[in-house]
Amino acid sequence: MSLQSALQKLASYRKNNTRASQEIFKEGLIVLKSGGVSKLGDEGWAFLEQLTLSAIDIGRLDIADQCLKQLSEKFPGSPRVDVLTGVRMEATESPSTVLSFYDELLRVNPSNAAIWKRRISVLRRVGKIDKAVEELNEYLDTFYTDVEGWLELADIHSSCNQYHSALQALSHALLLTPQNPFTFLQFAETAYTSGDVPLALKMFLVVIDMNESEDEDTIPLGISVRAWWGTKLCSRQLVSSPSTYTSDSNTPVPKNIKLIDELATERVLTAYSGEQGIQARGLVSKWMSAGR
Amino acid sequence: MSTPSYTIAPEAYYKVYFHAAKHPHLPVNGVLLGTQDSSRNVSIQDAVPLLHHWTSLSPMMEIGLDLATQHAGSSDMKVVGYYQACERVDDTSLAPVGEKVAGKIKAGFEDAIAFVVDGQKLGTSESALVPYVSTSPSSWKPTSTNPAPFSPGSKFQLEALETPSEAAKLVREQNLHFAFGDFDDHLEDVTIDWLRNRSCLP
Repeated sequence: MSLQSALQKLASYRKNNTRASQEIFKEGLIVLKSGGVSKLGDEGWAFLEQLTLSAIDIGRLDIADQCLKQLSEKFPGSPRVDVLTGVRMEATESPSTVLSFYDELLRVNPSNAAIWKRRISVLRRVGKIDKAVEELNEYLDTFYTDVEGWLELADIHSSCNQYHSALQALSHALLLTPQNPFTFLQFAETAYTSGDVPLALKMFLVVIDMNESEDEDTIPLGISVRAWWGTKLCSRQLVSSPSTYTSDSNTPVPKNIKLIDELATERVLTAYSGEQGIQARGLVSKWMSAGR
Repeated sequence: MSTPSYTIAPEAYYKVYFHAAKHPHLPVNGVLLGTQDSSRNVSIQDAVPLLHHWTSLSPMMEIGLDLATQHAGSSDMKVVGYYQACERVDDTSLAPVGEKVAGKIKAGFEDAIAFVVDGQKLGTSESALVPYVSTSPSSWKPTSTNPAPFSPGSKFQLEALETPSEAAKLVREQNLHFAFGDFDDHLEDVTIDWLRNRSCLP
């Protein structure tokens, strides 16, 4: 592996925010060993941060400490290095030690969002869910535009079977990222889980609509496949007994639900029409006919 | 009445292990396939991995469970259990969703079992599976049997004793878990054969 290609890979991981710790560590070690950090200029520091996190992730704390030392020498008192120090402490120190470390940092600088989020994640980890939710709500009052925060709140609620609260959190995320189909997909699946099938159907269709550069003849790919599966799951229930479905959000069942159901069947099966998908097609069509 | 016993084949163990190893920072779940003989011995022969994205949400879980059940039937097996790994190594509790799914499996198979992966035992030669049994369909508890699960004389056994250390070796030396795909992966790329995962088995 050449230094050049290692650097390129690492930069793209950083850009896409990929948590591929094993790969990052492998490539990162090449750069570190070659003494390339000083040649990287300003990018070198972002690289050290990246390597620290991946080293902590895979348990190579020796390398993490080595990077962290360089970073704290270069940027004494930096909030960003403080966060990294905190994450490193979380790997080996007790939760109470870490929490008081974060408390102290927040006392000095209450607007340090990253530290606040770390603190909340530690609270969740040690099972203080109520406290974590309370603080996360408080945090989101201050940093309303933090989509990651809303998604985390939705995830906490979902994991505690509080799907209505999860939907509320997700609707804030939808307002903030109206162009992101993944948030709509998560909303659809949460709505289904909460029992609101008409709302789920509506949202699955939004996902398809957002992703649809394809016309009728193309094979659904990527997120569309999942959304068509979800559509089919909803529509076949609504077709078979439309009157028994109540919707907490008062979402009406579309009048053309039968057509939607047929289209969903056709679209899902088409997703399995390619050369490679064909082996699963038999099972899929069996599922389609079993639900009626 | 005799109590059921459980034997886990290497293939099933490897798949659970690979699933957990592929997504160390995420919760994962899936189901176990097997057969039962007349003296209630359950032989767990295979595993079908389901989710790693939103393990608390049900639509894809429902579809995946349906498909896995059909698949099991077509190879003369049944869905006999559920497995789950948490995102934290020290967490071995069965999530509320896990109880629900395991309860659903129990409706179709009376002696259904649930396993939670103990992250701290993943790299060792010991079995990393913590068995949960149901006291009622909606309530699942860790087994309190004596002797401890997977020790000699227990009703939980591995078909081959060296399976855990083999699994760790396959992950460390051959990175076989990278070739592994679950239903979530399959929904992104339907060519991924999540029901069989043959390419990841040694």
